[in-house]
Amino acid sequence: MPILETRDLTHVFPDGTVAIEDIDLKVNEGEFLVIAGPNGSGKTVLARHLNGLLKPTRGQVFLNGEPISKNIIEARKNVGLVFQDPESQIVGQTVAEDVAFGPENLNLPVAQVEMVVKESLAAVGLSQLATRSPHALSGGEKRKLAIAGILAMKPKIIIFDEPFTGLDYPGVVQVLKEILRLHKTGHTILLITHELEKVLAHADRLVIMHKGRLVADGKPESVIYRVEEYGVRMPLRDGEKVEALTWLK
Amino acid sequence: MAEMTLFHYIHKNTVLHRMDGRLKLACLLLFSLAAGFASEFHDYLVPLSVLFCAILLAKLPFTTLLREMRFFGLIILIVIVVNSFTIPGDPIANSPLAGISQQGVSTGLRFAGRLLIVLLVSMVITGTTPLMKFRDAVEWYLRPVPFVPEARVATMINLTFLLIPVILDSFREMMDAQNSRCVQLRKNPVKRIKFLVFPLIDQTLRRADEIAYAMEARCYSEIRTRTAFKCGKIDWLMLAISLAVFFFVLL
Repeated sequence: MPILETRDLTHVFPDGTVAIEDIDLKVNEGEFLVIAGPNGSGKTVLARHLNGLLKPTRGQVFLNGEPISKNIIEARKNVGLVFQDPESQIVGQTVAEDVAFGPENLNLPVAQVEMVVKESLAAVGLSQLATRSPHALSGGEKRKLAIAGILAMKPKIIIFDEPFTGLDYPGVVQVLKEILRLHKTGHTILLITHELEKVLAHADRLVIMHKGRLVADGKPESVIYRVEEYGVRMPLRDGEKVEALTWLK
Repeated sequence: MAEMTLFHYIHKNTVLHRMDGRLKLACLLLFSLAAGFASEFHDYLVPLSVLFCAILLAKLPFTTLLREMRFFGLIILIVIVVNSFTIPGDPIANSPLAGISQQGVSTGLRFAGRLLIVLLVSMVITGTTPLMKFRDAVEWYLRPVPFVPEARVATMINLTFLLIPVILDSFREMMDAQNSRCVQLRKNPVKRIKFLVFPLIDQTLRRADEIAYAMEARCYSEIRTRTAFKCGKIDWLMLAISLAVFFFVLL
């Protein structure tokens, strides 16, 4: 049974714009899935449906076979979403306060909140910056803080919405290493990006979205040759293989 | 905004930083009331001396804070000057400036003293209290008040303080972007304001929307973990000092 599944998922905005249409997607436990597509293809809208932030116009999302609408809090605990702009995710005045936001929402006892915050900060290597203002962090550190905030909720699935946007080379490497570490520790990863050259070598599966529809789904080495048809830059050069598509040396 | 120190939390490990937020809020209230009731010279001197000691005790960067207070220094000066010239009374003997009255100068200095006390107490409180602690204290005080959703009020306080620097940053960036496109050549101030205000409101609302989504994604709830408050002997001692200052001024 897939850990996460969408059936016939459709979202129409009040002005009539169809954001996503008839999305059928199955995500298996422990999988590393990359979702690519040009701007406006519906990737972010899909991500926001996967933890119940948006309500579908038609169709449903299932977590472990159960519709997420049955228990939205459980869905949000299990499906962590790291936003494209980490600034919008920051609600604390210090790094530790921000990480504590999620566990406090879950009404965990104070001692447990403190423990989870410590663990999450240590996991992303931000323990030393616990008392700093989040706004004084670098781009890569802010993204790590956003990840720590999600880790504190102990999710099984983590969705990264354009995690490399606005980062310099060391920032991308930092974040990519963190994502791979999370995958290694058993998390299911869904990564939304159009910058395939930075990450595709590590993915188990590549899904392409175009004009709100899921148009290709399969092993990266079989789907990659069709990406240009759908407005995503072909990252492979002559003779190169998918294994070359990473910014990690 | 990251470079600003005034009215920002400065992390240090001091007695004042560790102090219980509820008692700290009570001290803020007592000092503000003391400022309001002060009338004689020593009524100002005592709270001001205690506040200077508090700044030293909290290891706040005094010279930096003083530099950043220049703007308020100007306001205090204006208050003294305006009062000196507008309040009628006995003229000051041998004064080179005509129109200054003794009563005017005295009233001006009193207002300035009050302003200074309020400024310093705000500086100490904001410099030593993280927003979450402040928020929790407000929430605790609001709990017994009927029909007031204390958790929601606390979240609103938190978000307001969080959004202010972000909005100011956006404002500065928009100003720069428009200046680089020669907005200064437009002579109509209404149009210039329009170009600035509407995009700023639009961007702020979008950002507020994003923050709301991000909070929901992390299971935002009004039934949250309640802070465990800890009151030590030193905390009560601080409150006792504040009470002593208040009663000294009152009596």
